[in-house]
Amino acid sequence: MKPGTALRSVTDFLAGRFPVDKLDFHSMVEKKEVPLHKMSWGYYTGGLTLFFFLVQVVTGLLLLFYYQPTVSDAHASVEYITQHVACGALIRNMHAWSSSCMIFFVIVHLLVTFAMKAFEKPREITWIAGVMLLFLTFTFGFTGYLLPWNQIAVNATKVGLQSVEYAGAYLPGTLSELPRILRETFQGEASVGQSTLGRFYALHVVILPLCFVAVLGLHLLQVQLHGMSQGIDTPSPTSERFFPIFFSKDLEVWSVAFLILFVLALCLPFESFLPFPLLEPYDPLGATPAGIKPEWYFYFVYYPLELLPFWVIMLGSAVVAAGLFLTPWIFKGTSRKTLAFIAVAATLYLVVMTLFGEQIYHLVKG
Amino acid sequence: MIDAFLLIGLPYVAIAVCIFGTIYRLRAEKFTQSALSSQFLESNQLVWGSLPWHIGIGLIILAHLLALIFPGTWSGLMQNRTILYTTEGVGIALAVLAVAGLVVLIIRRITSARIQAVTSVMDLVILTLLLVQVGLGLATAAIYRWGAMWATAAATPYVWSLLTFQPDASYVSGLPLVIRGHIIGAWLIILLIPFSRLIHMFALPLDYLFRPPQKVVWINPRHQESAVELVEREAARRYFLKGAVGVAAGGTLLTVGAADKVFRFFFGPRLSEREEAKLMAIRVKRLEKTVEHKKYELERQQNDYIFVAKLSELEPRKGRYFIDYAMKPALAFKDTDGMPLLISAKCTHLGCTVGADCNAEGKILCPCHVSYFDIHTGKPNPDSPAKAPLPHIGWVLMDQDGKLVASKHADGSLTGRADPEKADTYSVFIAKYHERVEES
Repeated sequence: MKPGTALRSVTDFLAGRFPVDKLDFHSMVEKKEVPLHKMSWGYYTGGLTLFFFLVQVVTGLLLLFYYQPTVSDAHASVEYITQHVACGALIRNMHAWSSSCMIFFVIVHLLVTFAMKAFEKPREITWIAGVMLLFLTFTFGFTGYLLPWNQIAVNATKVGLQSVEYAGAYLPGTLSELPRILRETFQGEASVGQSTLGRFYALHVVILPLCFVAVLGLHLLQVQLHGMSQGIDTPSPTSERFFPIFFSKDLEVWSVAFLILFVLALCLPFESFLPFPLLEPYDPLGATPAGIKPEWYFYFVYYPLELLPFWVIMLGSAVVAAGLFLTPWIFKGTSRKTLAFIAVAATLYLVVMTLFGEQIYHLVKG
Repeated sequence: MIDAFLLIGLPYVAIAVCIFGTIYRLRAEKFTQSALSSQFLESNQLVWGSLPWHIGIGLIILAHLLALIFPGTWSGLMQNRTILYTTEGVGIALAVLAVAGLVVLIIRRITSARIQAVTSVMDLVILTLLLVQVGLGLATAAIYRWGAMWATAAATPYVWSLLTFQPDASYVSGLPLVIRGHIIGAWLIILLIPFSRLIHMFALPLDYLFRPPQKVVWINPRHQESAVELVEREAARRYFLKGAVGVAAGGTLLTVGAADKVFRFFFGPRLSEREEAKLMAIRVKRLEKTVEHKKYELERQQNDYIFVAKLSELEPRKGRYFIDYAMKPALAFKDTDGMPLLISAKCTHLGCTVGADCNAEGKILCPCHVSYFDIHTGKPNPDSPAKAPLPHIGWVLMDQDGKLVASKHADGSLTGRADPEKADTYSVFIAKYHERVEES
């Protein structure tokens, strides 16, 4: 391919993805229609993810007022928030519940849009930005988990970071050093300590949110530019206007979600699922307590990691990650029926691993 | 004397006149019990006067009645600070709304020539009286704060004493002039009800709110089409209004609730001195722990030898934790030959800290992923997730005078010789030069 034609195809691609002539209020808001069919509920999953992200931003900002990111004070400041600050327990609990909800819906959103083939031309950039948001969300979860600086958090983070280094053994030559360097960069010192906490804090409250908002902006711009994907094979004859009909329905769903989240956060402490001693402040000189596990949303990779050789997981993760980014091209010609089948299979895997991972682990290990 | 008349005599006169006067007027002068609407004469200003006034005063009177009829429930609610603030805030806002509406109505009545034509002296008296009354109420709310709370202890028992024919003015006779003025004003207004258009209160068209919309239109071919359109528009307007009221009410509740939580969150706790001290003690303890940890680190940076334990303190089956030169956890046991056995406690799988107690086979357990390690060889069980052995750590024995007796490198080579007789006097150290050898 000549350099000229290559450049030509790049500009053509971008012109198709960023139709500047549609960049106005009229076509992005007034003219936009949302198709009505039996999969229409899928159109609400993205909005719900966004809603829980907004809750995270607000409650997170509130928590910032009292949280202190030092190894001696972090746990005490979290305790202070939950026990002394008015509504502190509620706000922290909302932050915890909402984070789980956000992760849940980002995964549902991914599966549904996959099954609906919403990544088809010209929506490749929407999809890729979405996958980036997915990874950012997981990173949010991983970095935020450490901040309360309790036994389970620090030890689980240690294990998580150590697994990164483990990957080095499978890489050739100089590359094998890369995971170790990466781990040390994020860890900041020989073992998980003050430097790690500072770095995770900066990531969690400044760097990741900035990245997230930027990618989210791109994602939403693309969604509005190209409109809703049809989602089914025979285009639906009926549709509703995006504004104000779909928009107000979206708000309605949000308000129900808020009500549920609020009641949940009010009544059920997120940590009630954990054995108590794990919430004690981290003791760098003590033994690792039993029962160290990551958050539930990492079970789908954690339990296989426990059961299978490391290289299998590494290879699998790499394939899945690459597959996610390249989905718009890999599944270009795949029918919606097949896509739905894959999505259902993935859902089954995620649900079974998350709910029964521990039982499976004990079953296999005896 | 004058107080007794105004607070006991006047009320009875007012109530009696109101009841009998109203009954008389309803029977004798039928069809006059309306508000004498002037909407046909002037409707533009009326909207901005009548609506705010009636909404404001209606809700305020409703609140007065609630506090009067259910004083227990009411004062119970007012115990909650948030509810009290909300009630007072909303009350004042409604009063201001009512005053604004009333002012518009007064201006309208005295400036519009068409309205002037139907204005009686009684109308002007009533308008003035209402303005004064709402003004006094606002002044009470502003000067003597939290009326929603104290009124149930003053005004409520006073009114009940009147209604149960055991009049007792002492509940209110001591109150400031403004408040007594407000009470007397109320009786005056009640007194004037049968003589004025205020009688329309008893003809409140509440069913207007719930009945289907009606619109008077001409029925002839020319208006046929517009009639349908009019009805449709009216229905849509109602639908929208109902929705708007619901959303506004929900939104207000949500805003008040969220603002309350957020404000109190930012306000922060105001702890007692004892609670503060307790918290400070915890913080100091944690800081000390951090300092201790940092001291270990500094010690390892500065010193060539680090004390682990006395040899006599070591046990063959229960390890003692210590921190090696890399600030990683390690365990010290007593070997079968009576010499120390130092082994890293950082699991070679994913870096958890291995437990200190040996099982029956002389193995220590990493709790994270169940790897058993033999402390003598360092090797994990074949089925363990950990594959690499735990490395041994070199040690140095010193006698009481700090003289080096024996030293063992991590690779197992031993220099010097320990005297088993004096074993109890020896101390175990780790040495920086062992670390260097390992690294190289």
